[in-house]
Amino acid sequence: MANLNGRARKKNTYDAIVVGSGITGGWAAKELTQKGLKTLVLERGPMVRHLEDYPTATMDPWQAKYPQGQLPPDELAAHYPVQRRTGYTLTEYTKHFFVRDDQNPYTEESRYDWIRGYQVGGRSLTWGRQSYRHSPIDFEANAREGIGVDWPIRYEELAPWYDHVERFIGVSGQREGLPQLPDGQYQPPMEMNCVEKAFKAKSEARFPERRITMGRTAHLTEPTEEQLSLGRTKCQYRNMCIRGCPFGGYYSSNSGGLVAAERTGNLVIRPGSIVTSLIYDEKAGKATGVRILDATTRQEEEFYADVVFLCASAFNSAWIMMNSTSSRFPNGFGNGSDQLGRNVMDHHLGVGASAEAPEFADMYYSGRRPNGIYVPRFRNLGDAATKRSDYLRGFGYQGGASRPGWDRDLVRPGGEVAGPRGFGAARKAALSQPGPWYMGLGGFGEILPYEDNRITLNHDKTDEFGLPTLSMNVTIRENELAMRRDMQTAAAEMLEAAGFKNVRGYDGGYAPGLGIHEMGTARMGRDPKTSVLNAHNQVHECKNVYVTDGAAMTSASCVNPSLTYMALTARAADHAVKARKRGEL
Amino acid sequence: MLLSRRDAIRGLTFTFGMAATGFAGQAMADAPALAWTPTALTPDQARLVDVVAELIIPKTDTPGAREAGVPQFIDRALADYFDKAQAERLRAGLDRMDADARAAHGDVFVALTPQQQVELLTGYDREASTQSQAPGERHFFPLLEDLVTVGYFTSEPGATVALRYDPVPGAYHGCVPLAELGRGWATR
Ligand SMILES: Cc1cc2nc3c(=O)[nH]c(=O)nc-3n(C[C@H](O)[C@H](O)[C@H](O)COP(=O)(O)OP(=O)(O)OC[C@H]3O[C@@H](n4cnc5c(N)ncnc54)[C@H](O)[C@@H]3O)c2cc1C
Ligand code: SF4
Repeated sequence: MANLNGRARKKNTYDAIVVGSGITGGWAAKELTQKGLKTLVLERGPMVRHLEDYPTATMDPWQAKYPQGQLPPDELAAHYPVQRRTGYTLTEYTKHFFVRDDQNPYTEESRYDWIRGYQVGGRSLTWGRQSYRHSPIDFEANAREGIGVDWPIRYEELAPWYDHVERFIGVSGQREGLPQLPDGQYQPPMEMNCVEKAFKAKSEARFPERRITMGRTAHLTEPTEEQLSLGRTKCQYRNMCIRGCPFGGYYSSNSGGLVAAERTGNLVIRPGSIVTSLIYDEKAGKATGVRILDATTRQEEEFYADVVFLCASAFNSAWIMMNSTSSRFPNGFGNGSDQLGRNVMDHHLGVGASAEAPEFADMYYSGRRPNGIYVPRFRNLGDAATKRSDYLRGFGYQGGASRPGWDRDLVRPGGEVAGPRGFGAARKAALSQPGPWYMGLGGFGEILPYEDNRITLNHDKTDEFGLPTLSMNVTIRENELAMRRDMQTAAAEMLEAAGFKNVRGYDGGYAPGLGIHEMGTARMGRDPKTSVLNAHNQVHECKNVYVTDGAAMTSASCVNPSLTYMALTARAADHAVKARKRGEL
Repeated sequence: MLLSRRDAIRGLTFTFGMAATGFAGQAMADAPALAWTPTALTPDQARLVDVVAELIIPKTDTPGAREAGVPQFIDRALADYFDKAQAERLRAGLDRMDADARAAHGDVFVALTPQQQVELLTGYDREASTQSQAPGERHFFPLLEDLVTVGYFTSEPGATVALRYDPVPGAYHGCVPLAELGRGWATR
C-alpha cells in the first residue's frame, strides 16, 4: 500500500506504537501513556475485556461439556497438536486463550513446543505467575565465563524497575536475603502446608544451602490502594486463574497495565491488527511506523509514530524484524550483527523427584493455593562450596505437597491399572477421602545461549494470510544434560533427607519450548557487531525502535522470566520518553 | 486402607472357569426403566450402563451414580468426546458383558442377580489389571470404570455431597484436621 498523505496520515499517527498487548505490551502501554504519550497498541488477536470476556471463569465441574473439561482427542489432534503438548494447559476451559496450531503453522526442523495465546492480554492471561528477580550473578555470568556476550546492564540498574513493577502488579512472597535470588517488594507470602513445613525443617537441617521458601507469585494477598482503585481485589484461592480471574486476584495486562493505560485517555487499542513489518525511512535513518494486515478485512494499513515498541513475544518480535527488509537492512531489521533469531533459550524442565510423605495422615488443607514452594538455585554461586565441575549455571525447584483427590486411581494416558481397583461402596468411600500426601520437586534449569539455536524466516511455508512462517532449530546440549542429572539426584536427596517414602527421581524428558519461556532472539549487548539491542533495549542500528520482550535476553538465568521482561520494558519506556523529549529519537 | 479394600474384593473369589455353576436363569425382575433417552447408546446398552454404573458407584449414605446422572454422562461422552476407537472399545465391552452373562447364566447382564453381576465385574477388574492400558489396548472395564468415576465425582451430587466443594474458598489454610473437613476436596 502506498504511503498515506495528509489527513489520513495524520489520523494514523501517534506518539508511540506498541506491538502486542501481552505481559510486556501491557507494561509499555501503561508506562508510555502515563508519561503522556498518545499510544496505539496493535494486537493481532481479538479483544479480551477484563471480567467480561472470561466465559469459563466461574464454571462448576458439572457444567463441563466434556469429562473433566478435557478436549476430545479428535479436536486436539486436528487443531492443537502443539498446544496440547504441555498436557495441562489446554482444556475446554482455556482453549479460547491459546492459538489453533492448524491456523498458525511453523516448521520444526527440531521439535519445538511453541505455546502461544493471540488475544488482547496475550499469555498474561494464562501464565503461571511465578515472579522472581534475576540476580547480580545472572547479569555477570556471560562475561565471567566467556559465554555469548556480556549483558550491557547490571542488576543494580534494573533493581529500581523491579521495585516499580512489583509494586504495581502485586507479588506475594517471603524475603530471604539470598544473593542469588534478590528480595523484592512483597505482599504477605502464602502459607505452606504441614508437609511442606516439615520438609523445609528437615531438608534445610541436612542441606542448609538449599533454602526452601514460599513461591513468589503475582497474586494480591494485601492489595494496595492503587490495585483496589483499578478494580482488583485479594486472591480468593480458587486456582482457576488460567480461565481469567473474576476478582483480578492475579496480574494480567487485562486487569492491570491496560486498565491503567486506558484511564490516562492516551490509549488506543486496535485488536485484529497483525503487524507485518516496520517502516524504515532511509533518509531520516529511523523507523516511521509499522505496516499491519487487518485480520478481518485482510487490508493492509500503515500507522506512524515517533517511537515503536516491539512487545509481540520473543519469536514474534524477531519475526517482524526478519520480515522487515530494506536496502539498509537486507537481512532483517537491525540485523547487522546476524544475531537476529539466534541464541534461542528457554528453561529446561520435566526433571526432579517425588515421594510419599508418611506423616500428617490426619491433616488436610482448605482453599486452593495457586502457588507452590520454591528452592532457589544453590549451585555455582561463585564460591568453592557450590562449584560444580560438570556444568555451568544452575537451576531452581518449584514444588509442593498435596493430597491427591478422587481421581488418583484413574488410568493415565498409556499408563497401567495399579492392580485390581475394585468397585462398589468400598472404593467409593475410599475415593471420597483424600489420598496419602505426596511431595514433588520439579527443576527449572538455565539453558546457555548457543548461536546455532535459531529460528529463521521460511518463505516456502506461508500462513492463511500468505505471510512467511518460522522454522525452529533448537536443541539442548551437554551442559543442560549434565545439569539434568544433578537436578534429579539433588531433588531425591532432599526428599530422602525429609524422611519421605518411595522417593522416585524422574526425567520425563524435555523438548525446547516446553518451559514456555522462549527468549534471546534479539539479544542486548554492548557491541552492535555481536548484538541487536543496546543497554536500553533500543535497536543498535535504529534507535527509535525498542524491543522489550524476551527477545532482548542475553542469558536466561533459571528463574521464570516475565518479571524481568516487565522491568526491562518499564525501564526502556522511561528512556524512550526522555530521549524523545530531548529530540534524540 | 487400600489393602483391606482390595482384600475385601478378592474375598468374592470369582474365576471365569466356574461361571456356569452360578445362579443361571434368575432374571432380575426389576431392571429399572430408563427415565431418559440415550443418543449414542442403544436403549439396551443404556440400561446396561445404568446398572453397571450403579454397581461401580452405588448409593450409600451419599447419592449413587444413577442419581448423579452418570449414565447420561456416559452417553454424552460417547456422542461428543470419545474418538471412534475408544467408542468401539466401550461398545464392544458392553456387548461382551451380555455375551459373558449369557454364557454363564443364560441371560443378559441386567437380568442377572446382583451377586452374579458383581462376580462378572470382579473378573473384568482382575483381568484388566494384568493388561497393558496403552491407547490401542485399553481394557473396556477400566475405561468404563474411569468414566463412571469421573462422571460421578464431577457431578453436582458427587462433588458437593460425596466430596466437599467450595467455588470461592477465600483463603488457604495449610494444616487443617481432616476430621474437621470430613471428605476430600472435589477440585484442586
Ligand atoms: C501456561 C503458562 C505458564 C507460564 N508461567 C509463567 C510463570 O509462572 N512465570 C513467568 O514469568 N512466565 C510464565 N509464562 C510465560 C509468560 O506467559 C511469558 O513470558 C509472557 O507472557 C511473555 O510476555 P510477552 O509480552 O513477551 O508475550 P505475550 O504475553 O505472549 O504477548 C504477546 C502478544 O503479542 C501479540 N502479537 C504477536 N505477534 C503479533 C504481531 N505480528 N502483530 C501484533 N500483535 C502480535 C500476541 O497476540 C500476544 O497478545 C507462562 C506461560 C504459559 C503459557
Ligand atoms: S486463585 Fe486467586 S487469582 Fe486465581 S482465579 Fe482464584 S482468586 Fe483469581
